[in-house]
Amino acid sequence: MTRSSWVETSLSEVPKTSHDLSLSYLSPDARLAILTDYTEHRTRVLRGEPLGLDPARFPNQPWLAPAARGLRRCPPDEDVRGYGIFTFPYGPVTGGVPEAVRFDVRTYGERILELTPVTGFKRRGVLAGIAGLPLPDAALRVERMVGNLSAAHVTAFLTAAESARGLPVPERELWTRALALELQRIYNHLHAVARVAESAAQSVGQAQVHALSEEVLRLAGWAFGHRWLFGALLPGGPDRRLEPSDRRTIGTRIARISADFQTLWDLLSHTRIFVDRIQGTSPIPRREAIRWGAVGPTLRASSVGWDDRVHAPIPPYTDLFVAVPQGIDGDALDRIAVRVGEIQSSTLAIEQILDRWPAASGEIPPEPCVEAHRGIARVEGPNGDLIYDVTMQGDRVAGASCRSASEANLPLLALGSRQSVFTDFSFAWESFGFVIAEVDR
Amino acid sequence: MIGTGTGALLASLGLFFAGIPLSLRSRKLSYLACLLGSLALLGTSLEVLAFHPVAPVSWIGPLGTPEGIGLDGLSAFFALVASLVWIATSLFSLAYDTGTSRLLAPTYSLTLGAIALLFLANDAILFLVGWELMTVASYGMILQAPGRPGRTFSAAFIFLAFGEGSTLAIFLALAGLWSVSGTFRFVPLVSTGLVTSGIFLAALVGFGLKMGVAPFHMSEWLPIAHSSAPSNASAVLSATLTLAGTYGLFRILSLLGPSPSWWGAVVLTMGATSALLGALFAAVSEHSKGLPAYSTIENNGLVLVALGVALMARSEGLPVLFAFALYAAFYQALAHAVAKAALFLHAGYIDRTTGTFDLNAIRGRAKEPGSPAFPAFLVAGTSLAAGPPLAGFVSEWMILEALFQSYRFPDPLLRLVGLLAGAAVALAAGLIAAAMVKFLGFGMLWNPRRSAPARMGARALASPILGISAVVAGIGISAPWILAGLGGPAIVFARASVPPPIGGALSIPAGWSIVSGAPFGIISPPGLPLALLFGALVGIGYLWLRGRPRWRRSPPWMAGNPVQVPDESYSAFAFSTGLRLMLRGMFRTREARTTHGPTTWATLQMPGSYDVELEVFDAFKAFYDALERGGLGLSAALKSALMPGRLGQYVAYILVATLIVILYVAIVF
Repeated sequence: MTRSSWVETSLSEVPKTSHDLSLSYLSPDARLAILTDYTEHRTRVLRGEPLGLDPARFPNQPWLAPAARGLRRCPPDEDVRGYGIFTFPYGPVTGGVPEAVRFDVRTYGERILELTPVTGFKRRGVLAGIAGLPLPDAALRVERMVGNLSAAHVTAFLTAAESARGLPVPERELWTRALALELQRIYNHLHAVARVAESAAQSVGQAQVHALSEEVLRLAGWAFGHRWLFGALLPGGPDRRLEPSDRRTIGTRIARISADFQTLWDLLSHTRIFVDRIQGTSPIPRREAIRWGAVGPTLRASSVGWDDRVHAPIPPYTDLFVAVPQGIDGDALDRIAVRVGEIQSSTLAIEQILDRWPAASGEIPPEPCVEAHRGIARVEGPNGDLIYDVTMQGDRVAGASCRSASEANLPLLALGSRQSVFTDFSFAWESFGFVIAEVDR
Repeated sequence: MIGTGTGALLASLGLFFAGIPLSLRSRKLSYLACLLGSLALLGTSLEVLAFHPVAPVSWIGPLGTPEGIGLDGLSAFFALVASLVWIATSLFSLAYDTGTSRLLAPTYSLTLGAIALLFLANDAILFLVGWELMTVASYGMILQAPGRPGRTFSAAFIFLAFGEGSTLAIFLALAGLWSVSGTFRFVPLVSTGLVTSGIFLAALVGFGLKMGVAPFHMSEWLPIAHSSAPSNASAVLSATLTLAGTYGLFRILSLLGPSPSWWGAVVLTMGATSALLGALFAAVSEHSKGLPAYSTIENNGLVLVALGVALMARSEGLPVLFAFALYAAFYQALAHAVAKAALFLHAGYIDRTTGTFDLNAIRGRAKEPGSPAFPAFLVAGTSLAAGPPLAGFVSEWMILEALFQSYRFPDPLLRLVGLLAGAAVALAAGLIAAAMVKFLGFGMLWNPRRSAPARMGARALASPILGISAVVAGIGISAPWILAGLGGPAIVFARASVPPPIGGALSIPAGWSIVSGAPFGIISPPGLPLALLFGALVGIGYLWLRGRPRWRRSPPWMAGNPVQVPDESYSAFAFSTGLRLMLRGMFRTREARTTHGPTTWATLQMPGSYDVELEVFDAFKAFYDALERGGLGLSAALKSALMPGRLGQYVAYILVATLIVILYVAIVF
């Protein structure tokens, strides 16, 4: 049996309804919780209703309103008072703060009682600025909005725009997007592991994993002409066609990187001082993860097996087998372990993509649009479910909005950091893999 | 025939007690009388220490026993320390006592008179009278706290309860003395045995209760911290009331004479425990009076540590170490009393200028432009944190040096006790330094953000604080000469001439240095400021040669935030939370949450706002609480068992009593 036929056989066993794969392992009430949240959620998306948490349920939720000017305080933004409690503003330009974000920490010393992320320090107005631009020009800007998540953003944006226009899409472009997406997922997950290793002062492990992530970037640069894949996914396809020999090279190198990483992870995960720092740190109970609409590895670490590639797939994921690793406790260790598992899962996905690369330039009909000239798309990016809502006017973009994964997960950082001590904070932050450029667009 | 010395003593006592009726006329007159009385006492004490004791004047008291007052070297030293403190507190009270309570001035005068009386007493009866008067008068003084009458009353009651407990123990000790010597007069004993050990233990409990040392430290911090007693009262309580306890212990030990080694070990253990506990609780206190009150526990613990080493050294035949530790004990008592008086008076000053005792709220509000008491606060706090070249540094050095020499004890068990005590004292020194950094930092050095309320009589309040802190600095720098003058109390205690531990080495003139043991440590307190001065001169000279440095001023970096985040000032509480969490087993740290207010996130079942308090507990308080509950329960049980209100039972009592009397009469006669 060849590898290809093994994948075909496996795929035939994958249940067709999207929930069944992960839900079969859950208890009945847990299944109900997911179904109510996510079926509702998906229906709203398809109807074109506002995204994320429902503003009707949370009328005072400025977090979900379109990005306003000025600073935004992330929910739940509670008020804790007591003897000796004060606010410690950590950031945005302070040693140890990794991004342009401030954390208002309410504390009586040592222990974090409440943590409120405050964003808006680097808002650039990218999505507001693309109104009126032709689609390729708009895509150029969207992919530059968040460099290390460019594939996910541009894929979601283009998918939404194509659905709004109702034009068929060249099949090879879709497969190219999926390849880019999986490459970037591997890069981002490697990066997150390296950052956590850095926080735990595992210098050797950090350097080794960073070297592997650099290899992924170089491979992307070699295959697509740009390390961050800029310009590679524009409508009309990349300048460079992936020949069979190129695909073989990509497959071989990714398989080697993945194997090398597995060796490093075996070493890291058997290092007590590394595991001790992240185990039990910033735990997100499953219930809270569902309530607050966590996405991506954060959600899956809290033992909810939702992955857009399986449960709301766009082509070519409809034809691919994707494994969905899950955690149990939802702590930093689980979030990192889910990412490690996803590196393997993406390696497998890349193997399938390369194996079944479309031969001729066929065309695929677009996703159904929610209303005339308006399309919505959701794509599983490295940090989770990414949603774009795009309105087109002819071949020009009339307006676009987005709900990013970092935005959805930021409240979970606030919840998970409660009662932890200051020194644990960097582990919590790094394990979520936040990119503030996604929040301040 | 009454000599001038005796006359001065009687005059000073008279002035103190005259303060009581004078307060009816004017509070200021009453404090003035106390001031004059203190000056008279100071003069006489100095004369005794420099020349000769005041011969006691005796009379036959109402009980038919000889009573008398006088001043020997030991009592003169303690009277000197107390009168130094009282001069400052009386001056301070002149400007401070403007409150509504008219009873503060008479109780203050009575407290001072009572303490003076027990210093001067030459016999057990007068001593007990002074002791009991002191307890009752201080009880009255604590009751004069403004606000929160219920809490004040319970705190004052606890003080009284501990005070009466100490009187009982001291009564026992004095009765023991009488049973051995056959007289109420204070005469040295010669016999040693089981009775003297009993006397020693009773005295240790009785005076330990007053000194506020572990495990009786509740008696010290609770009334001061919980009742927010008036600040002049706090200073008198913390600096001189506990000094009276110290004096009593020294006096009884001087009468008992040579002791077995275990006495010293017991005293040392008690002292080291108190030092450590006091420092630990001071480090987690944010009350501008509670923190110094805990520091008093620590310092009195250090006195006991030095005394314990001295007793052990005497028993083990180490005269050099005995002399050094004895002088260390005296010097520690002196250094603590004056610095603590300055600190408490300053707490009163802060209270008067900011209206709060909470360090979180004070946060440097006392530091106004030209705040007159600022240097005093710094000096007193630094001295208590054992910062050179102040008095606290010298005493801490001496005590640690004495403990370092515990290797000289031949008995390995005593060596072990000395070793453990040394570790505890060193740990306490570190913790108390952290506590004082917090106290000084949040009380003074913090950048003020809010404007302070108008100050009342700030300058008049500040000058006595400045004066007493000058004494703190002075006795630190001139420590060798102070020690040279402490031969008087040492002779009384040791019943023999004890050379002061001073000398010279390394081209420092003889008498300028303190020497701990023949081939051990040496320090020169006068040399330290000279060295500092020399360094400063070198620095100034360098700057003068190099020209003025170029200053660059820039606004403070606010981490890139456009506007200041509200409520972002670091709190005094947070300063020591690390300790609370790390030692949660010791402090029984507990977090109490109260949820309230509208729930903004109703559907998510999230509270909109809530309160969090991190609480620490004193395990000893739990013990005393349990004791109290047990006592009340026992008394209630006895009451219901013995006096149930049934007539038949009472008739039976009468019957039994009558039978016993008839039997007694029948047998005896």
